[in-house]
Amino acid sequence: MLTFKVGTLARQLGVHRNTITNWIKKGIFPAKPTTAKRYTMAKKRFVRFCEKEVIPHDVMMSILEEASEKKQGITPASLSGKEGLSGFVKKEPAARDGLTETCPSMSRAVGAVMVVGGGIAGIQTALDLAQGGYYVYLIEKTSGIDGTLAQLNKIFPTNECDPCILLPEQVKCAADQNIELITLAQVQSVQGQAGDFFISIKKYPRYIDTDKCIACGVCAEKCPVHVAVTFNGHISKRKAVYIEFDQCVPQKYAIDSAACLYFTHGKCRACEGFCPTGAVDFDQVEETVTLHVGAVVLAPGFKPFDPFLHGVYGYGKIKDVVTSLEYERLLGMNGTFGEKVVRPSDRTRPRKIAWLQCVGSRKQNGCGNAYCSSICCMVAVKQALASQELFLDHRVDRTLFFLDLRSHGKESERFFERAKNDMVRFIRAFPHSVEPGTDGTGVAMRYIDEKGGMHHEHFDMVVLSTGFESHGDIKRLARIFKIELDEHQFAVTPYFNPLETRTKGVYAIGAFQTPKSIVRLVTQASAAAASVATLLMAVRESLTTDVVYPMERNISAETPLVGVFICACGNNIAEVVDVAAVAAYASHLPHVVWVENISFVCSVDAQMGIKKKIEKFKLNRIVIASCSPRTHESLFQTILKRAGLNGFMLEMANIRNQNAWVHRNQKGAATQKAKDQVRMAVARVMHHYPLLPECKQVIPWVLVVGGGMVGMRCALTLAHLGVQTMLIECWDHLGGNALSLSTCAKDQSSVLSMLDEVITAVLDHPNVRIYRNATLVSVSGAVGNFRGVLRVDGKKEKIGFGAAVMAVGAKEAVPREYLYGTEPRVMTQLEFGHRVLADETTVGRARHIVFIQCVGSREPKRPYCSQVCCIHSVKAAIHLKKINANIRVYVLYREMRTYGEWEACYTEARALGVRFIRYEVDQKPRVSQNGKTLSVLLFDPVLQRPVKISADYLVLASGVEAHGNKNPADLFRVDVNSDGFLNGAHPKLRPVDLSVAGLFMAGLCNYPKPMDESIEEAQAAAYRAFAMLSRGKIVCEAVKAFVTAHCDGCGVCVDVCPFHAISLGGSSPLKISSPGVGHPSPLTVDKDGNRSPLLLNVSGKDQEPSEYSRDRRIIIDPALCQGCGICAATCSSQGVIVHGFTPKQMQAQIASVFHDPIKENGDDENTLSCEKGGNAPFEPVIIGFLCNWCAYAGADLAGVARLQYPAGFRPIRVMCSGMVHPDYIMDAFARGADGVMVMGCHPGECHYLKGNEKAMARADVLSLVLPDHGIDPQRFECRCLSSTESAIFVNMVTIFTLKLKTLGPREIR
Amino acid sequence: MKDDYQSPPMDQETSETTIGDASMLLDLDVQAGTPLLRDYFRKIAPDSGQPDICLQCGACASGCPASGVFGMDPRKFVRMVSMGLDDELLNNQWVWVCTLCNRCVPVCPMNINISRLVFVVRTHWDTHVKPAPLMDLCQDCLETDTGSSLGIMDGADWRFIMEETADDTRNTQEGFESLAVPVGKKGAELFLTQSAHIPLTDPQEIPPLWKILHLAGAHWTYGSSASAWASDNACMYLGDINAWEKVVRMRARAVEELGCQVVLNTECGHDDWAMRRGLEQFNIAHTFKVKSIVEYYAKWIRQGRLRVNSDWNRILKVRFTVQDPCQLTRDRADIAQALRFVVKQAVGEENFVDMSPGGAQNYCCGGGGGVLDSGFIEERRHYGKIKLEQIINTGATYCITPCNSCFRQIHDLSHHHGAGFYTVHLWTILCLALGILGAGERKYLGPDLATVGLL
Repeated sequence: MLTFKVGTLARQLGVHRNTITNWIKKGIFPAKPTTAKRYTMAKKRFVRFCEKEVIPHDVMMSILEEASEKKQGITPASLSGKEGLSGFVKKEPAARDGLTETCPSMSRAVGAVMVVGGGIAGIQTALDLAQGGYYVYLIEKTSGIDGTLAQLNKIFPTNECDPCILLPEQVKCAADQNIELITLAQVQSVQGQAGDFFISIKKYPRYIDTDKCIACGVCAEKCPVHVAVTFNGHISKRKAVYIEFDQCVPQKYAIDSAACLYFTHGKCRACEGFCPTGAVDFDQVEETVTLHVGAVVLAPGFKPFDPFLHGVYGYGKIKDVVTSLEYERLLGMNGTFGEKVVRPSDRTRPRKIAWLQCVGSRKQNGCGNAYCSSICCMVAVKQALASQELFLDHRVDRTLFFLDLRSHGKESERFFERAKNDMVRFIRAFPHSVEPGTDGTGVAMRYIDEKGGMHHEHFDMVVLSTGFESHGDIKRLARIFKIELDEHQFAVTPYFNPLETRTKGVYAIGAFQTPKSIVRLVTQASAAAASVATLLMAVRESLTTDVVYPMERNISAETPLVGVFICACGNNIAEVVDVAAVAAYASHLPHVVWVENISFVCSVDAQMGIKKKIEKFKLNRIVIASCSPRTHESLFQTILKRAGLNGFMLEMANIRNQNAWVHRNQKGAATQKAKDQVRMAVARVMHHYPLLPECKQVIPWVLVVGGGMVGMRCALTLAHLGVQTMLIECWDHLGGNALSLSTCAKDQSSVLSMLDEVITAVLDHPNVRIYRNATLVSVSGAVGNFRGVLRVDGKKEKIGFGAAVMAVGAKEAVPREYLYGTEPRVMTQLEFGHRVLADETTVGRARHIVFIQCVGSREPKRPYCSQVCCIHSVKAAIHLKKINANIRVYVLYREMRTYGEWEACYTEARALGVRFIRYEVDQKPRVSQNGKTLSVLLFDPVLQRPVKISADYLVLASGVEAHGNKNPADLFRVDVNSDGFLNGAHPKLRPVDLSVAGLFMAGLCNYPKPMDESIEEAQAAAYRAFAMLSRGKIVCEAVKAFVTAHCDGCGVCVDVCPFHAISLGGSSPLKISSPGVGHPSPLTVDKDGNRSPLLLNVSGKDQEPSEYSRDRRIIIDPALCQGCGICAATCSSQGVIVHGFTPKQMQAQIASVFHDPIKENGDDENTLSCEKGGNAPFEPVIIGFLCNWCAYAGADLAGVARLQYPAGFRPIRVMCSGMVHPDYIMDAFARGADGVMVMGCHPGECHYLKGNEKAMARADVLSLVLPDHGIDPQRFECRCLSSTESAIFVNMVTIFTLKLKTLGPREIR
Repeated sequence: MKDDYQSPPMDQETSETTIGDASMLLDLDVQAGTPLLRDYFRKIAPDSGQPDICLQCGACASGCPASGVFGMDPRKFVRMVSMGLDDELLNNQWVWVCTLCNRCVPVCPMNINISRLVFVVRTHWDTHVKPAPLMDLCQDCLETDTGSSLGIMDGADWRFIMEETADDTRNTQEGFESLAVPVGKKGAELFLTQSAHIPLTDPQEIPPLWKILHLAGAHWTYGSSASAWASDNACMYLGDINAWEKVVRMRARAVEELGCQVVLNTECGHDDWAMRRGLEQFNIAHTFKVKSIVEYYAKWIRQGRLRVNSDWNRILKVRFTVQDPCQLTRDRADIAQALRFVVKQAVGEENFVDMSPGGAQNYCCGGGGGVLDSGFIEERRHYGKIKLEQIINTGATYCITPCNSCFRQIHDLSHHHGAGFYTVHLWTILCLALGILGAGERKYLGPDLATVGLL
């Protein structure tokens, strides 16, 4: 007998579940119901049925096979197959034709995954998969991984600079040995089946040898061909040899053969002649390779709608009409016209800008894109805000023409409110068309206001908020992978398994499905990784490798032997800086035993050379004077590790990006600066000591809090991934809110039957332990090692777990208005769902049903949008109309937020005759009861008159509210936003991670959202937890804070730590901070971080007798500490300091700026500024403390852009502006600095959440104190800078230098 | 959900409070009971967008010159249809001011054919409240065998005027002694139709057209016994579908009788539309095509059959602009281009200033759709203000109109508002550029061109 569930069979046969039910009802399909919603039938009958209905033979066989497998208890996971370990096969296997659609037996599964698309979605998937133990091929069509995100200027709601947040991910991706980046490549064909795909890839030639290219840009400089750039929209041009954008990964040029003169006309080859490394290779040819992978994740992105197709927008004819992506580039600091936003027509600053929404979206007419592109509203709001922020000196009049402003995401509504308060005009109307302005500049538009008044207005420019579209690649990929596309050419995926396509083992994420925000596609990336990992569980870690380095040499007894390697970078450095002179100079520095000039220090040969020198001369400290540590530090660390040195014995002097490139006309000063930089690096490296990242064993259990749909799906995903999972639910039943949902699914699938399936699966799975009636009483410990106490049915039970997922959900808010509570016919959406909608006869009797949206939402008391209510009401309205077309259904709304493909539901509802009437928040509907009738009075904005409606039922969309203080999240001390929802670690890139390491969240407790999105989060959170625990241990950051003997337990640092890593300890403080295996034991570490025996404690303060008797000290949890050093800068007694940034290291570096030991003998100890003496012009020396993530990157970029600034600037890299102790600033002044700058990220952009705020606060205080020390406070500045604001950086330094020049040299007391 | 429930304090609800003007209160329970228009529209055009799916975005109303007239605009209009406010719709004169110019149609995101909707509403008006002047015109169309809306012209009258005018031209104008004005000529290629107004009010405007046809060597004819020569369809304007059909059938029969291949519309875009749409909608079997003379002008010039020369204006530098007849150019970029080509050939490219927006996006002047004759003079002039402004902004001295309705409306606008520019028929300027414009054919030219090209 064949036993099956309708849903499962439906999926296998590729039909809708209702189809099967109908077959059974009609007797076409002779199955009989048995227990647990299962059906049985004889196999013979099934075979006969299949023959009759022409079901493909292989599908039938796989169903039959699966049935027999189940009997024998074989699950795919138990079949381990490590065949085909070589992920890379050159030849295509014979006798395979095309994609086999059957269920895989998994006997040939491979542990490699292909990710198609190198945008943020692809990058995130690749990183997640590699972390989880899968080898990843990341296929990208263009020459580098960047995607649309790289083109954006800032992202809301944090207003972070996009490249800043993207670059670290890109670099991680490129550095991971288990991710193979294949650029300029496209998928050609696929064969095989899930677990065992052979995919052939066409690789297009780059014509540049990536091993040799050093991205110096000489080729592009010399190239004579200009090509219009797609990256910058229609506005700017690039050369035929190009790099996608400044921060592209890999940082390698490529030749566009379609434009290159050599390829088009057979001559030129200028780039080849000028390339200093001989990287240009015109002989490269196209090649096709076949990759053997177990699964495929498709993230091909989208195409922005081309408004040229709609004449009404004047795009392409009127110069000052740009698309939102183009405007993003105008706003961007690395954008089209340099640092200023100027309009294209006459390059003047626009003072009056309009945004037009829904260009290419929500239109059945013309382009046919009937869906909502979901993000354009927030993009426009963000751009409107950013436009003013850029211009401090004049007001920018900003107007948004919109229809429904869809600020439905987390924090979005607040952003919208902010824009309103910032005087952005929101006009609810679409102008008919864009007409040219007078004098050939600007535009004019006619629009009608809501009262019917006509306006004719001129604008300096118009930004078209263009929507997303599917593109040719999507159609091609869909064809190759046999993925079903909907009418808009987006991938069709089932509501309850939102990433799965029709082809097993192939997953669709990102805009491939439907346009969506960054947050959601990053979530989808992790969720897709979960699906892949589940499929390929048996072959996990079969292809990934870990790098093994030789044993580290014990250098604790060695005297410092410094090797200095000075890079010429071809001519990049050498043409400005006299590298030979720098080398000669360096050789005289104390402890330096080896100095070498190398033309390309990053080349493979040079790397080998460095390794040999380390071994030969027993070097134990290395200084590399070359480019930026941001891009190359990890490379050189690897060389050190290969040579048996600890990677942290390295220091880099950035003499390219922050010297040669930015002081091209000051060769002498540049050489002097290079010497100084080398000297600073040598002085600093002297105080380095080996650091080892700490490893912690983990408890291999995950706790999932909440037994709703999300919690269960999360637990199930974990269970499938082989993780032991505890699921706790405070009620006695599982299911949560989903129990009351009936009509919410996007497709026709039923929530309740899916819920049934999930509950059964969770109950059955051996890896899930379920606690009902259980609440979490207390939690202690940290990531990898949490301990908790549960109260289950009144009894307490102790549990331990390595990670936890919060899936505590949220609740429907209780309305306080519209007669709710006094009148039984007034009910909430969920109440209506199970009291009325569930009963068709009740519905049949109703004549008027009125929905009121935004009840209590989007008002000061509850200022966010609950995102689901519009969808819910619209779906309910459709349901009503389908039951009885004569029911009059009214939806009273403020803004219809049926975003994305939900727009189709809104359209369907209108077409079915549901009437939508908008109301204003200050003119809400009035509900009254006269005897039996319930009536609603409101004002129709289009008709401009009051309307009255009767209501048999009044349904209130009261929105979603976070659970109150009973929230178990409190126990974990995770952040909650002002609306009561959990705050993630990063609102865009780590959407399901909580700010406390080891904790994740999913579903409504994060923010209200429809079920498919919640399920994505459940899967993503499960995967993040799985990946974290899967290695059995957790590797912590090596650069982190530690407690010294000087800690007096004052506790000031406890509050400032953004990661809650510090707590006040008991009587034996130092024991706590030494759990690690390899970390220098704090007992032997002095306050300056030196290990005992003290090697170089030549100066330094006397070691105080340690006060072990003292009771209170702080404890730092190394698993939580991120190494920002905010604590260290707060501590007045050096009781807590950060590895790698100890006071000794910092002070040595500062001191060495002014103290030249070589000149010491001849001259007296003199400051540089005084050195010139006599009549030489005064060149102020500035010490700049630059935050690694923003300011330092910005300074690097200034180099890339060859922006010039005064050479008196001496950069010191710090991890965060918040780690700059006021002592360092005072120290710098004491040593003779003319000025000091501290540069951190913009507010809200801090990598460590709030380090920059601390720095600003300290700077304010310091400015007050400076005069007492005889220092003009004007000599100190604390500034904000983003990593793209290279021009602003240059301006700041230049202006500060000028200011210092006016102030004159310092009179040192 | 109920577990958390604790009876919340109620916000004050007062049933007496009203919102807005209570006298305007609309009881949707009553109103929505008889949405005849809405249902009708669902039936007649189930595929071309429904008023119900309107997003209320206002793109239509923003671009409509009739917005605000009679307190109505297209968005409101669609909303009212959807809400079932039939009574009000059948009393608001706005539908008679809308020129059915279709400017709103291409921008509607939901593809709602608003002008079709307006037309449907027109059809639903009671005959005794429809605008009387339009009623009369339609009546005339039906009652005269000429199909003319100015019914005083029966066949004999018309023939008389034509003969007189033709004779006059033959006698007074050199080179046109053999000018033929064929009537009912079997087997002619082109079946000419033209505005009924011109023979009555401005007969001197006809010879230039004849002369052009003559020079181009066109094989053309008027309908036999003068039937169906008039190029208008007031019945269509009136929303009298049966009468519209009758007029179209009459003309189709007249064309088929003569075996002409093309109905050459010299005039109104609406008539062009009424003819084409009517043939399709009423399923009238036919073998001919309906074309605009603008296409033929362009063709003849390109073929060298009309040697148009703009030298006359090289020194004068008189600036011209051109009005796009909505029904001709809204969705037919080729005609808009042809029109510009012809005008530029005639006046010189450098002396032509286009209106912005023009072509497919052009603003209607307010004379189409029967509005010119429906009696709403004030509203029509209000409607035309955007067009007037546009023309003034071009700085042109002359506005060329290839359509007689446009001509009459723009001429009136210029005159009424004292704008100072002149309005001329396209053929007048063509003849000027061909050097064949007679002295008596210059009624609408200004003094600057009064003698140009005259010997």
